[in-house]
Amino acid sequence: MKRISFTAKIIILVFLAVLILPLLAGCRGIFYIPGASFGYYIWEENGNIFVEWSADRKDSKFDGGISTDGKITEYKLKEWEEENDVIKVGEDRIDFSATLNDKDYSDGFSFTLQNNTYLEFDLRINDGYDLSRINVGGFLENPENNIFRIEKDYFDQLKMKHWYQRRPFSEFFSKLFSNKYFTFTYLFILGIIIIEILRVTVLTRRRRKIIWLLVSYTTLILIEICIYFILKFLVR
Amino acid sequence: MKTFFKKIGSLIVTKEIFEDKKSLRTLYKYFLIGLLVRFTFLPFFFQRDLLSTYQRAAETISTGDFGYDNQQMLTNVIHSIYLFIIKSIFPAINQLFSVLLEKDTWISWISFNSSYNVFTVLTLFKIPYLIFDIACMFLILRLSFDGEPENKLRVFKYWIFNPIVIFVLYIFARHDIIGVLAILVALLLAKKDRKYWAIIVLAFGIALRFFPILILPILVFYLVRTKKDYIILSLVGVSGLVAVEFFSYFYFGKSVIFPLLNTQHFDYLLSPKLELVIGSHSSIFIFVAVYIVIILSFLHIKKKNFDILLNYGAIIYLAYVGICYFHPQYMIWVVPFLIIIFVRRKSLLYYHWIQFALLMVILIYWGDLVTKFVFAPMDHKYFVYMTGIIPIIERFYDSAEFVNIFRSIFTGVSLWMIYLIYKDNKKILSDELKKGKIKEV
Repeated sequence: MKRISFTAKIIILVFLAVLILPLLAGCRGIFYIPGASFGYYIWEENGNIFVEWSADRKDSKFDGGISTDGKITEYKLKEWEEENDVIKVGEDRIDFSATLNDKDYSDGFSFTLQNNTYLEFDLRINDGYDLSRINVGGFLENPENNIFRIEKDYFDQLKMKHWYQRRPFSEFFSKLFSNKYFTFTYLFILGIIIIEILRVTVLTRRRRKIIWLLVSYTTLILIEICIYFILKFLVR
Repeated sequence: MKTFFKKIGSLIVTKEIFEDKKSLRTLYKYFLIGLLVRFTFLPFFFQRDLLSTYQRAAETISTGDFGYDNQQMLTNVIHSIYLFIIKSIFPAINQLFSVLLEKDTWISWISFNSSYNVFTVLTLFKIPYLIFDIACMFLILRLSFDGEPENKLRVFKYWIFNPIVIFVLYIFARHDIIGVLAILVALLLAKKDRKYWAIIVLAFGIALRFFPILILPILVFYLVRTKKDYIILSLVGVSGLVAVEFFSYFYFGKSVIFPLLNTQHFDYLLSPKLELVIGSHSSIFIFVAVYIVIILSFLHIKKKNFDILLNYGAIIYLAYVGICYFHPQYMIWVVPFLIIIFVRRKSLLYYHWIQFALLMVILIYWGDLVTKFVFAPMDHKYFVYMTGIIPIIERFYDSAEFVNIFRSIFTGVSLWMIYLIYKDNKKILSDELKKGKIKEV
């Protein structure tokens, strides 16, 4: 019995190890690794808008512009190389062009805004548009159009999103719910196996085994019903 | 009726275990936990090669050309027949059939992963591997430790919770288990002294997948009783491959063996070499030399018993993964031999877990395809765009060197395991000698 629990511990450890990487890579907002991650990362912190980009140590060009109906009051550059990177900051517009290579892992800038209702972005990577590489407020929170606009309260609204509305969970739950016949048959089979394990371990010494089994199967059916409603709620 | 079920029970779990209620319950408990672990992984993970295997099968069904994948013809036939059956039963397969016939590998992979019924299809695709796995776990019970139900139970436990088996079949989703089953049947027949049947089944295994050929010489040496047997059994052993070659040549007009010899997979055996003079053509293929030493050392054992045969099987496959470049799924070939030895030498079990942990690092060799893309059925976009492990390592250190450090440790561990098995061989032989002397007295 001791050895089984050891095996169980190892299985749990493997599960956790498998989960760590996706968690690090994006579930906690806008985490990125300069020189390893690839794309634009845009977020808001203490009233500042941050626009940064990173490439996987390959020669890459990041250029574009940001405009607003408000006023850009101040800006700061991050890891800016004057010889390769250019930025023009106007009252309501920022234009930039920067390159990254095997020694230059990431660049970026931050700015503050006044009296704006929106921000408009036109961001290019290697002279083209790659919307899946533009993360606005969170990993894979991608725009739908090449030139896209975010409203003033966009980042606040994004913060209201629950974990299950973010990738990969949203997609995973959606697949489970849209394929109900499979999901509930699969869960039922898993349930039967678990009940059988309980029957040959915990329940062997109990009296009235049939009642316990009835209770187990009723619980399984109730769990299935609960899971149906939970999934329905999660993918709504 | 009761006797009939008793016979069936004994047939499945062996007489020793079936007659001991406690052992039977423990075996059932292991089986259920193992099944739970397998089912947990079944619908959610796969490596691109699973899709390729079924794409070839779909092409066979669609064109009627059984020689579509003529290097793995029998494996393709098995998958084609299975796909044909499930296609007629499950609408999910029909819905994805056009994706299976898509020639562009990237488009087919994306379409497959983004399909809403990807979990159903993955489960169905892996069910045959589960069936072969279950067959293996009950066959392996019979390989050793007759009259020792506790040790048989340990063998069962080591198979059912084996990380390599679970990883290769249910996360990586490769079909090597079909060939492993053929090896187990051949070994079981060898144990029962059915020499011709053992070699015929192994020949079938060789036709399925090339790897069983590595144990053909030791199986022949174990089974021979007369000098004539050397020739007959060797010829029968390669007959499977020759039969497939003839069939392919006359039916499809193309050879199997020669393209196979020219593939990179066969080249893996010859790649590790020692140049005798730098820049000249003369070199020694390290694995071939080591393999010959192993075969000769087996040949010179006077009293070859079945456990020694199993130990040598483990030594050969450990030498292969220790010395040569290999794909992660090839690790499964060593498992049936190793788990028998774990019962006698528990330390090997720990080294095997270390091997598995190192394999998880060595996986980085093959990049995104075998690391983050394995999780793609859950959300392909997320796993395509998330930062891969290689760029992260490259950020701090050369990824090839990083992996090669772990690969070298893996080789060291594998060679040490061979040494431990060699010591086990010596112990088995000295125990046999003692038994013989006691009998004489």
